[in-house]
Amino acid sequence: MYDLIIIGGGPAGISAGIYAARKKIKFLLATETLGGQSAVASEIQNWIGIKSISGFELAKKMEEHLMAHGGIEAEEGYLAEKVEKISGGFKITFKNGKSFETKTILATTGGRRRRLGVAGEKDFENKGVAYCSTCDAPMYAKKTVAIVGGGNAALGATKDLSVYADKVYLMVRSENIKGDPVLFEEIKKDPKIEILLNSEVTEVFGNDFVEGVKYLDKKDNPSTGSGQVKELKLDGVFVEIGSVPNSEFLGELVKKNNYNEVVVDHGNQKTSCEGIWAAGDITDLPYRQNNISASDGIKALLSIKDFLNGGK
Amino acid sequence: MHTEKKVKIYSTPTCFYCIKAKEFFVKNKIKYEEVNVATDMKAREEAVRKSHQTGVPVIEIGHEVIVGFDRMAIEQALGLKN
Repeated sequence: MYDLIIIGGGPAGISAGIYAARKKIKFLLATETLGGQSAVASEIQNWIGIKSISGFELAKKMEEHLMAHGGIEAEEGYLAEKVEKISGGFKITFKNGKSFETKTILATTGGRRRRLGVAGEKDFENKGVAYCSTCDAPMYAKKTVAIVGGGNAALGATKDLSVYADKVYLMVRSENIKGDPVLFEEIKKDPKIEILLNSEVTEVFGNDFVEGVKYLDKKDNPSTGSGQVKELKLDGVFVEIGSVPNSEFLGELVKKNNYNEVVVDHGNQKTSCEGIWAAGDITDLPYRQNNISASDGIKALLSIKDFLNGGK
Repeated sequence: MHTEKKVKIYSTPTCFYCIKAKEFFVKNKIKYEEVNVATDMKAREEAVRKSHQTGVPVIEIGHEVIVGFDRMAIEQALGLKN
């Protein structure tokens, strides 16, 4: 039986792993892929101590930092399926059929991409509807594309696409950009990019591949949300509208909010179930940031260490 | 266990999952051929035609075409067991 199993390998999980290794806790880190959601970001400019780094490089650096400690058990290809209470701890079963027992759990499985949830989106997934700009941007060389979203991920994707595509629309549902003004200023200067605020995508259409989107143009009535349905001819739509938490595997064991986020004590990352902690984007924290996830992972680990030592 | 099947990956240089897939092949001592669909237009058309979609990576193992770094599908196609 492990003292701790960390499920998930983004900044929260890896930070906790580094601290666990240094405290010589007997632990396993099991994750689908090491690196976290921002591993696909082309550039990260706000990781403290590094002015600019690609998501992939940051993922690699975090992995190297973790593995630099001897005897680390970190496994990729592990998607958690369920957690059961057993005597003295928990049993975790993974989708690859393996299962392990542990005294404590730290859940840092983050989130997966939020879908628009409009007609046609699913039918055209990977046929013009895309979720990874650093992966698929070159496929849209000399084409017309739209990025849907208003956060930093959307702004980053807009930059990625403008390198290849002839015309890039940034479609933002609200009147305001949530992402950093520093990034937005860069985008506004690019003549290839057209920004459509108050534009809510309502349908993706096409034949074999995407041919365009329908959207509600609320420009004239942003407060009421009513407007005119318009059409935009496109070859591709990149969806960057945030994430939904990967919390299903915890079932009813822990308290979750209406968004399926795991409710934690933000002082120590404890969930409602003794022996289970959670950190990062799986939790009910209001901000989604690498630096915050890393710090929450560390808080959790320190609290777990106290618990294993017989304290609270 | 080594496979006799030919492995080909259609990738783009900045694609995280393409890099993870290649790391997986190296770790499991699988020989693979790589084509860059960001610059090789013929390969790009081939990838779209074979997979009926435009996402990368497209991984061809023997006659099987896998979209994305789907580790379980790749392990199965290669006959890897762990």
